[in-house]
Amino acid sequence: MNMAWKEMKKNKLRFLILGSIVFLVSLLTFIISGLANGLSQDNAALIKGLPEGHFYMSKDADQTINLSRIDRDVQGNMLKKHKEAVAFSIQMGFLNDEDEKQQSVAFVTSTESSVFEMVQKGEVVLDLSMKEKGIQVGDSLTNHQYSGKFIVKGFVDQKKFSHAPVAFIHSEDYQEMYRVKEMQLIFVPGKDSIGAVTGLDVFTKKQFLNTISSYKAEQTSLNMIVWFLVVISGMLFGIFFYMMNVQKMGLYGILKAIGVKTRTLFHMMWTQMIIITVMALMISISLSQVFNRLAPKDMPFSLTIETTAQLSSVYFIIGFIGATISGLQIKKVQPLQAIQQGEV
Amino acid sequence: MTRFTLDKVRKTFINGEVKEEILKGINLSLREGELTALVGASGSGKSTLLTIAAGLQPASAGQVLFEGENLTTMNGEQVRKIRSSKFGFVFQFAHLVPFLTVEEQLLLMLEVSESKTKKTEQKKEIDKILTLVGMNHRKNAYPATLSGGEKQRVAIARAIIHKPKVLFADEPTASLDSTKSKDVMTLLRDLTKSLNLTTLMVTHDEEMLFYADRIIKLSDGMVLGS
Ligand SMILES: Nc1ncnc2c1ncn2[C@@H]1O[C@H](COP(=O)(O)OP(=O)(O)O)[C@@H](O)[C@H]1O
Ligand SMILES: [Mg+2]
Repeated sequence: MNMAWKEMKKNKLRFLILGSIVFLVSLLTFIISGLANGLSQDNAALIKGLPEGHFYMSKDADQTINLSRIDRDVQGNMLKKHKEAVAFSIQMGFLNDEDEKQQSVAFVTSTESSVFEMVQKGEVVLDLSMKEKGIQVGDSLTNHQYSGKFIVKGFVDQKKFSHAPVAFIHSEDYQEMYRVKEMQLIFVPGKDSIGAVTGLDVFTKKQFLNTISSYKAEQTSLNMIVWFLVVISGMLFGIFFYMMNVQKMGLYGILKAIGVKTRTLFHMMWTQMIIITVMALMISISLSQVFNRLAPKDMPFSLTIETTAQLSSVYFIIGFIGATISGLQIKKVQPLQAIQQGEV
Repeated sequence: MTRFTLDKVRKTFINGEVKEEILKGINLSLREGELTALVGASGSGKSTLLTIAAGLQPASAGQVLFEGENLTTMNGEQVRKIRSSKFGFVFQFAHLVPFLTVEEQLLLMLEVSESKTKKTEQKKEIDKILTLVGMNHRKNAYPATLSGGEKQRVAIARAIIHKPKVLFADEPTASLDSTKSKDVMTLLRDLTKSLNLTTLMVTHDEEMLFYADRIIKLSDGMVLGS
C-alpha cells in the first residue's frame, strides 16, 4: 500500500508548505547562480569563449594585464614555434557614435588568428550589445586618440570584457591610439602547456580570468551566496522533516505496534521527500528557465541546463541526508509508548 | 487445548534509585476459544502483563510461550513477525491510522501480516469482517469522521482481519458508554467462539465479566486464581 502518497493526499497543506519552501529556496539559488554566471559572462565572455589554452604575460606586469608588454623578439619566436599562438592586447576606451554619444568599449587587437575577429585598418567589429544601442553596420565611429574613422563592419555575439562590449580593431589603429608597439598578451591554444618562457608568467584560463579586476571578487561572493543557500536549504529540509516526524511519533508507534517494519517507515519518509523535492525542483527549474529567456537584456543573467541540473542534484542529495538524519528518531520509537499515550 | 503460556514471568521497573517489582512470577495458561478476563486494581500491572504477553515489551525473567515457541529468546524481527501474523490487539483507544480509510486500515494489516491472498479475495474478506462488526457501510470513511464506538469496532476488525490465533484487548470498552460497551463485548465473545481465538482481555468494569469464560485477578504482582 502506498502509505506515503495517501498521507500526502490527506495532509495536503502540511506537505504543500514544505514543498513551497523547497521551491522558493531552490528558485532563489537558481536565480542567484544565473546572475553569477551572467555577471561572469558579462565580465569576461571574450576570454571564456576562447578554446582551452594558456596565457602569457610579462613577469614585471605583476599580473596586471594593462602593464604587460611582450618583447617583440619573444613574441616573434613564440608565434613562429607555435602556429596556433596569437598575440593580443586589450584596452578600455570610448567610441563616439554619429550623434557624438560616447560608448564605453574594450578595444581588442590581435595578430593573425581564427580565435579573434580580423579587421582591416579603419574598420571595427563590435559586440552584439552595441547593436541594441542603435549602432548599425556602416556607421562611422570616432575616438579622440584616433585620427580617422572606424567603419562598423559587423557584430559578434558574446564578446565582452570587464563589463564592456569588445571592439575589434586593426593593430596599426591600436598602435596609433595607445602609442605602443608591443602586444600585452600571448595565447597558446591546446590542453597542454608549452612550458615556461623566460620573462613571462604563464596562466591557465581560470587563473587568467582571476587577473581581470573585479572578476574574482564578483564570482567569489556570488558563489558563496549560492553555496550558502544550498546549505541553508539542506538544513531547512532537515528541520522541517524533523518537526514533521516529531508530530508523527505517535503514528509511527502505532504502525510499529501493528507490525509495520522500521524500514517501511523510512521508505515512506523517503518517498515523500522525493515526491516533494522533485515537484518543487521541477517548478523552480521551469520558472528559472522562463526567467532566463525573459530577463531584461541589460540584466546579466545566464543559467545553463548543466548548472541547474548540478544544483538540483546537490539539492536532492542534501534533502535526502537532511530527511534521513532527522528520521533517525523513527528507529527509536517504541510501539508501547504510543499505545500508552492515548489517541493520536 | 493450551495455546499460550506465561511461565514465572517477572517484571521490574527501575525509577531512578527505586526498583519496583510489578510482576512477581506470573503463571498462566490460555486455551483456544476461551475469553479470559484479567482484573485487578489500577496500577496492579495488568497492562504490563498484557504487553509482555503480546511481545511489546520484554519480561525481566520467565518465559512467554506461544504454540511451544519461546518469545523471550527471540530477536526483535522474529517477535515482530509473530506479532503481526499471529496476534491481534485492541487497546483502550482505537489507534487507527488517520490518513487511511476504514477499508485501507484492514488492507494495511493484511499487508503487514504478509497475507498471501489475492487483492480481490482480501476485499471480500474485509467486507465480511466489516459486516461482522457492523461497519461495512462506513468502509470508505476516514477515522476522524467516526464516533468512538465505531472506531473501536474498526480497531477490532483490524485486530482479527489477518486471522490471528491470539487476541489481546486492554480495556477495549473504557472509552465507550455502557450500551456500546456491551455491543463490543458481545462481539469479542462471539468472535472468540467463531474464530476459535485465544482472547486475553483486561478490564476493570465488573459488568464486562459477564462475557468472560474465565476471570483472573491480579493482586500484588501475583495471580489470585480464577
Ligand atoms: N515503563 C514503565 N516504567 C516505570 N514504571 C512503569 C512502567 N510501566 C508501568 N509502570 C508502573 O507499573 C505499575 C503497573 O502499571 P500498569 O501495568 O499500567 O497497571 P494497570 O494497567 O494494572 O493499571 C504502575 O505503578 C506503573 O506506574
Ligand atoms: Mg492499564
